Amino acid sequence: MRSCDPPTGDLALSVRDLSKRYRNRMAVDGLSLDLPAGVVAGFVGPNGAGKTTTMAMLLGLVRPSGGGGAVLGQPLDHPVGYLHRVGALIESPAFYPARSGRDNLRILATIARLDPGRIPAVLDLVGLTDRAGDRFRSYSLGMKQRLGIAAALLGDPELLILDEPANGLDPEGVRDMRTLVARLGQGGRTVLVSSHDLSELEQVCDWLILIDRGRSLYQGPTAGLPGGATLILRTRRPEEAARLRPALAGTGLRISALDQAGDGATELEVAMEDADCADPAALAARINRLAFDAGVVLAGLAPRRRSLEDRYLDLIKNDLVKGDR
Amino acid sequence: MTHVVRAELLRLVHRRSGLGLLAASALFAAVIGLSIYAGAADTPTGPAARRSGASVASLSGTGGGTEAFVVGASFVGFFVFVTVIALMASDLSGGTFRTLAQREPRRARLLAGKLAGVLMVAAGVVVAAETLTFVASLALAPIYDVPTAGWISLASLSQAAADAGTVLAGVAGWSVFATLVAVVFRSVPVALAAGFGWAGPFENIVSESWSPGYRWFPGQVLAALIRGGNAELGRGRAAVTAAAYAAVAGAAALWVLCRRDVTA
Repeated sequence: MRSCDPPTGDLALSVRDLSKRYRNRMAVDGLSLDLPAGVVAGFVGPNGAGKTTTMAMLLGLVRPSGGGGAVLGQPLDHPVGYLHRVGALIESPAFYPARSGRDNLRILATIARLDPGRIPAVLDLVGLTDRAGDRFRSYSLGMKQRLGIAAALLGDPELLILDEPANGLDPEGVRDMRTLVARLGQGGRTVLVSSHDLSELEQVCDWLILIDRGRSLYQGPTAGLPGGATLILRTRRPEEAARLRPALAGTGLRISALDQAGDGATELEVAMEDADCADPAALAARINRLAFDAGVVLAGLAPRRRSLEDRYLDLIKNDLVKGDR
Repeated sequence: MTHVVRAELLRLVHRRSGLGLLAASALFAAVIGLSIYAGAADTPTGPAARRSGASVASLSGTGGGTEAFVVGASFVGFFVFVTVIALMASDLSGGTFRTLAQREPRRARLLAGKLAGVLMVAAGVVVAAETLTFVASLALAPIYDVPTAGWISLASLSQAAADAGTVLAGVAGWSVFATLVAVVFRSVPVALAAGFGWAGPFENIVSESWSPGYRWFPGQVLAALIRGGNAELGRGRAAVTAAAYAAVAGAAALWVLCRRDVTA
């Protein structure tokens, strides 16, 4: 697993070697997580990676096969001790279809011994005030998701766990959900949100947890995810690119070739996090000098910000390669 | 557990459901009243009267005003059974149990509270159905020449309360079994098919050829309890057997629910 330094300060959740086995399939395989309090964390992984199972274990719905930990300082195997401080929307929102959104929230507030006086505020927060009296079954998917979030917010939770809240929403709904998640993370609340839409997560999350096949691939600040910033070097001819590679080899920089352009030009990509200087301009100047010393005139030298999706797919690919070995 | 009971009552009791249950109680009173009084008057010693156990003589005695209710209630146990299966299984398969379990992680408390809420609603329906059946009986009695002088007395009121208690005990038994079936099978259609198959054809067909079935099968025991005892099983023994069955079924439902992952 790649990771930044372990987080310091209060942890909203900390689990070690968490596992869940279903017959002969490991849904979660020795997952260890530390989530600092107060962050908006994206929980990312392909289908079947174990995201929902992990969340279900955190919520006491699924019993771990192994491992343990703490949520909000309380033992994971004693969810009664912390669930009243946690709000969650896991899998699809499930409410009584014949009852109104407001009635469903009233039922949940009663069962959780929460103040029903907070219901109008959470309905307003998710933008459902106008439809609160309508039956749940008449709601659109987006409204159902928002009611699910309203239910999660009933107790003004310290930790909010949202499982694919934008799943199935139209672009406008996705944008609204992104805005809502960003708002929910304000004021010191910890938010753990899983999603497939990495571009959405990139905009709202300051912490990332990437998992695949039940194992952690990365956890740390979003900005710390490897492969974020690169420099693209462009040469006019392939042989120049071939001369450039050994010239840069001694620098310790990771260099990968991109597809050749149609005019015979070749592009090389240099990962900037491997550089010993953090200033892209200084690195570019250094590479330019090395290229010049090697007799190569660069036709182009430009920084490129790689998307979260690209970096995520790289990590998944690398993990698959390791897994195949 | 009272918070779970109150939540379940909030779920079950609202204007639409209240009107629906009242209409169903009124329909029950009318249909049962008509069939019992017509059967008792037309063939006082024939098959219909024997099957219901009601006759002009029994209807005109103390407690005769609620006799039709008791006879009719013995047929609705099965209806209660499938209704509670549908209620509980839809919670477990539709995800609402998951939503509730995040708010009340003590699953035994959650299930017991939900069942208690269902039984409180059932108690209301039983009282409403008994009252309406009594009113229907009052209206039907003169038509079928059934004297009603003995109906309005302290003894009759006491009998009516005992009848309601017996029926409610039977309903509680059916509800506990329904909860077990729902918890074990979770899927609504599968749970309904299993419950319907067992308590419907299986118990009755087997009991036809194996008479101890009338004394030992849960459905037969509960039917006998609601009826206040029958030729096969006395009221006291039916009550004890039903209580023992309900305790085992309730414990089994709690055990399964608490051990299982909530995945739906």
